[in-house]
Amino acid sequence: MDDPIRTEIMKHRLVSVAEEMGARLQRAAFSPNIKERCDFSCAVFDALGNLVAQAAHIPVHLGAMPLSVRACLESITFHPGDVAMVNDPYRGGTHLPDLTVVSPVFVQNDHEATLLGFVANRAHHADIGGMSAGSMPLSQEIFQEGLIVPPVKLMVAGKKNEDVWRLFLANVRTPDERSGDLQAQLAANRIGIERMMGLAQRFGVSTLIADMEALLRYSERMTRQLIGRLPDGCYRFEDALDNDGFSEELAVIRVVITIDGEEAIVDFSGTDAQRPGSINAVYPVTLSSVAYVFRCVLGLDIPANSGCLRPIHIVAPEGTLVNARRPAAVAAGNVETSQRIVDVLLGAFAQACPERIPAASQGTMNNLTIGGWDQRHGRPFAYYETIGGGMGAGPRSHGTSGRHSHMTNTLNTPVEAVEYAYPFRISCYTLRDGSGGNGQQRGGDGIVRRYEFMQPAEITLLSDRRVGRPYGLAGGAPGQPGRNRLKQKGAEKTVDGKCSFTVDDGDQLIIETPGGGGHGTH
Amino acid sequence: MSTSGQTSQNVWVGVDIGGTFTDFVIYSSSDQSLQRFKILSTPADPAEAVLQGLSQLPQHLSRHIVHGSTVATNAILERKGARTALITTEGFRDLLQIGRQDRPALYELFPTIPDPLVPREWCLEMRERMDVQGNVVIPLERQGIESILEILRRNAIRSVAVSFLFSFVNPEHERWVTERLREEGFFVTASSELLPEFREYERTSTTVVNAYVSPVLDNYLERLEREMNPAEFHILQSNGGRISVAQARGHGVRSILSGPAGGVVGAQYLAAMAGFPRILTFDMGGTSTDVALVNDEIQVTTEAEVGGCPIRVPVIDIHTVGSGGGSLATVDAGGNLRVGPQSAGADPGPVCYGRGGTIPTVTDAHVVLGRLPADGFLGGRMKLDVAAAQQAFDTLGKQIAVSPLPGLNERQTLALGLIQIANAHMERALRVISVERGEDPRETVLVSFGGAGGLHACALARALGVPSVLVSPMAATLSAMGMLAADVQLDYVQTVMLPGDTPCEIIEQHTQELISRGEADLLREGIASEQAVLTRSVDVRYVGQSFDLEVPLTPQFRKEFDRLHQERYGYCQPDADIEIVNVRLRAIGHVTPPPISARSLGSADSSSAKWEERPVVTGKGMQHVPHYRRTNCDRAMKFQVRRF
Repeated sequence: MDDPIRTEIMKHRLVSVAEEMGARLQRAAFSPNIKERCDFSCAVFDALGNLVAQAAHIPVHLGAMPLSVRACLESITFHPGDVAMVNDPYRGGTHLPDLTVVSPVFVQNDHEATLLGFVANRAHHADIGGMSAGSMPLSQEIFQEGLIVPPVKLMVAGKKNEDVWRLFLANVRTPDERSGDLQAQLAANRIGIERMMGLAQRFGVSTLIADMEALLRYSERMTRQLIGRLPDGCYRFEDALDNDGFSEELAVIRVVITIDGEEAIVDFSGTDAQRPGSINAVYPVTLSSVAYVFRCVLGLDIPANSGCLRPIHIVAPEGTLVNARRPAAVAAGNVETSQRIVDVLLGAFAQACPERIPAASQGTMNNLTIGGWDQRHGRPFAYYETIGGGMGAGPRSHGTSGRHSHMTNTLNTPVEAVEYAYPFRISCYTLRDGSGGNGQQRGGDGIVRRYEFMQPAEITLLSDRRVGRPYGLAGGAPGQPGRNRLKQKGAEKTVDGKCSFTVDDGDQLIIETPGGGGHGTH
Repeated sequence: MSTSGQTSQNVWVGVDIGGTFTDFVIYSSSDQSLQRFKILSTPADPAEAVLQGLSQLPQHLSRHIVHGSTVATNAILERKGARTALITTEGFRDLLQIGRQDRPALYELFPTIPDPLVPREWCLEMRERMDVQGNVVIPLERQGIESILEILRRNAIRSVAVSFLFSFVNPEHERWVTERLREEGFFVTASSELLPEFREYERTSTTVVNAYVSPVLDNYLERLEREMNPAEFHILQSNGGRISVAQARGHGVRSILSGPAGGVVGAQYLAAMAGFPRILTFDMGGTSTDVALVNDEIQVTTEAEVGGCPIRVPVIDIHTVGSGGGSLATVDAGGNLRVGPQSAGADPGPVCYGRGGTIPTVTDAHVVLGRLPADGFLGGRMKLDVAAAQQAFDTLGKQIAVSPLPGLNERQTLALGLIQIANAHMERALRVISVERGEDPRETVLVSFGGAGGLHACALARALGVPSVLVSPMAATLSAMGMLAADVQLDYVQTVMLPGDTPCEIIEQHTQELISRGEADLLREGIASEQAVLTRSVDVRYVGQSFDLEVPLTPQFRKEFDRLHQERYGYCQPDADIEIVNVRLRAIGHVTPPPISARSLGSADSSSAKWEERPVVTGKGMQHVPHYRRTNCDRAMKFQVRRF
């Protein structure tokens, strides 16, 4: 039996390590995406690659990070001072812009170095090369999406691996920014290592290792307890993405959640096959989505670590939207399909425990990339942002308006910061009245954001719920679908949810994000 | 001590309103005496306790009062400020509603987001737009003001916040609207006057907070001034500096966190006298614990938040955790012992208070372990119910599997564990404000105040490697003491966004306006120029970064920035381009605080201070430990330290 006092104390100590890493990364990073929008996560792992403690950052990174660490463990022999990086979605990554930096923590005693565990952080880089600026393209195979980085050493025995560094920077559009962000990622791991070594010194290596194991068991116990309180049964649901950007065909995700005592089976059999467009989710993304939903439904208190996932069994057939096979394109799988997986899981849980489940939220991140040549500063630019929308109403509360929901929680880039750094301006940023679904409790409203361009630029949109609508529950109406409009030379037209086009000086792009579903009959 | 003439009839009074007590520290220049007392707070009308306390002073004395109040904070937390409207650039009325579009808790399906201070129907727009250079993109449509005025009157709005995009570059539009509204008799806060700094949401939020609290705070201060009839009346601001009430008028946001600021200023003052310029302050109360870093100077931040509203004015960088003496112990679904964030509060309070509490708290753990003597609490004025506390731990013990530590029984093991967990919470907080800010705790002194601090300070110091702990006999009224020790201090900022190779003289020109304002404001405070210190600094970042670091404005600022970046973040890029985001000015008028003489409370003979040996439970089991009465201790006394 684990000591309930010691485990609690060590929980705080280990989370504190991850938090400190996060503070360092955010402060030291270069790109607004990491600094202003906090699109990153930091975590501590044991020697087997189990996630032991994570600072609360981005849910979509949660379940997936351990798979990145394990991929590094499989193909790299770590020595003290080594640091690996990886973004390959088929080796534990999620999509290419999410770059994970992994450092082993060795403790030197006598003449031997013992591997205590790992610290790692993952940050979304604003560009990682590929066919379009911002690396969130309308792709049909992963090779178009940017530079694929299998686990490689960024640092060797404390020294920069110059070859890797040069190769990497030669393949991205904004190498200075990338270099700065990578430095910040390294700095975050450095503080993590320092703090882990401090803990080892204070409590002893073997004790610390035992404590990490106890923490995993604790989360597992807690998860089992809470699953045990759900009614046994099979709960089914399905929902769809509008399309993959290349055909009109819906992309359907189906799930059956079986609650059986203290364990759960999440079975995605029957989900559509993977598509040519980039809406394919690799397994780590699906795992993250499942981890997120269970954590929300079971309660807030379970420490985020690999132990939580032990009582949950996932069936995700290979070659489908929820477990894509190489070389499927995956850029939108992480940001769009993950949201739909959440919608499907919550829809199933709404039958098991309706009092805890809200109607669907906007169900998209409205990914927008703007890139080109900045004539003012004479340099290339790549800008990426996501836009909040309406959240689903609950049995006792209206949905919140204008927020990011579920698998993301990034901050917006301030309108004034945008105009300082990029050759376009935002001329409207308001709530979209009436877009939330009606009901006894109303769904939250989406957002209207209007961009005015002062120079030619290349635009890529990866957005969903432009056709389908976020569902209501218990008789509540669905939210309004989103809409993307383009004004060029006085003419206005609606553009697709997933598309790529160029704009000119004077053009305007208006993005209206979806509203959340309503709850209860009005 | 102050700037006005000293006569024998002068007294200086520091008044701090807390949740339970209103504290007074009174210094009389004629006999250099220092008096301290507490009276019960009167939350329904906080001024009552202040007036009641002051009525105890002889009427003929000329009173110089420095006040710290929670009136502004409470107006925000309870949403009881003035009826306030917001006017923005067309297309941006929902800035407050949207915020930064993130939700406060990641795994909360039904997030509770505090209502904005201005309801959406009073968020109004005017057609206008400036660009990043301050060029007019859309001219101000002046007739728009008429319909706005009508809405304001119809809704009996008193206070208006005006925040246009890029008004910090070109305030022309904002100024016109502001003046027009002032002509009509409204109380107006303009973002370009209050905080000419970029990032529209934070600037707007700060502007709105000011508009919302200032009328309420002004009323309160006017009433106090009328009834107290002071010779001088200052309030403490959130930045740890004082300001005259006359100048504070209309700037409520600046004093929004004045209460906790007093404690840090007081701690710095006492520690400096003891020869410790670098300290960690540790203020452990009933429901929460405040910690702050003083590294020669009090550390301020511009990233504070009150009641869900960001405020970007300088505020002492205080980190709060929901762990205090009243934090409750519970067992969670995974079988772990948890402490807080729920608290027994003042009612019913810890089990040992005997007011109906049944769940053990941190305070009860100390009682069970013999660390809080049942007959010596509050100087013996309150008896503690030891049996009830023990009973509560035995009940808790039935829900949890704890194997007793050697020499301890199950109850004691549990109580000790509870304290260790509370310490883990507080250690995390102390790390946030020290290590994360680039400060090594091993080079600081832990200054403990607040009711329960002394019981935890040594364990925390050990965990962080802090070599010394300072516990002052003035701990209970430190915040009121801080009011008297605070300098006059005013902060100014202006976003400039200049390229890094801008010559220092040009940057200095950008500070000219701030300097004129600072000098004029200090003059209004009665600060003679030889007592005034004006410090200029710049917020600098590498091009492409979006956070900046503040460094003094000297010809070497670039070098200093690289050095600080290296220190804070572990790397720097001396060859990379930088940009200068803001220029800042801090205007300080030094005040001579009341002298506190080191004096003995007792005699050098420690035997008279010794109270008795009592059994205390430590990690090593039950031990007999000598107890001393602080009031009988002498500064020459030394004690044998035993490590628990």
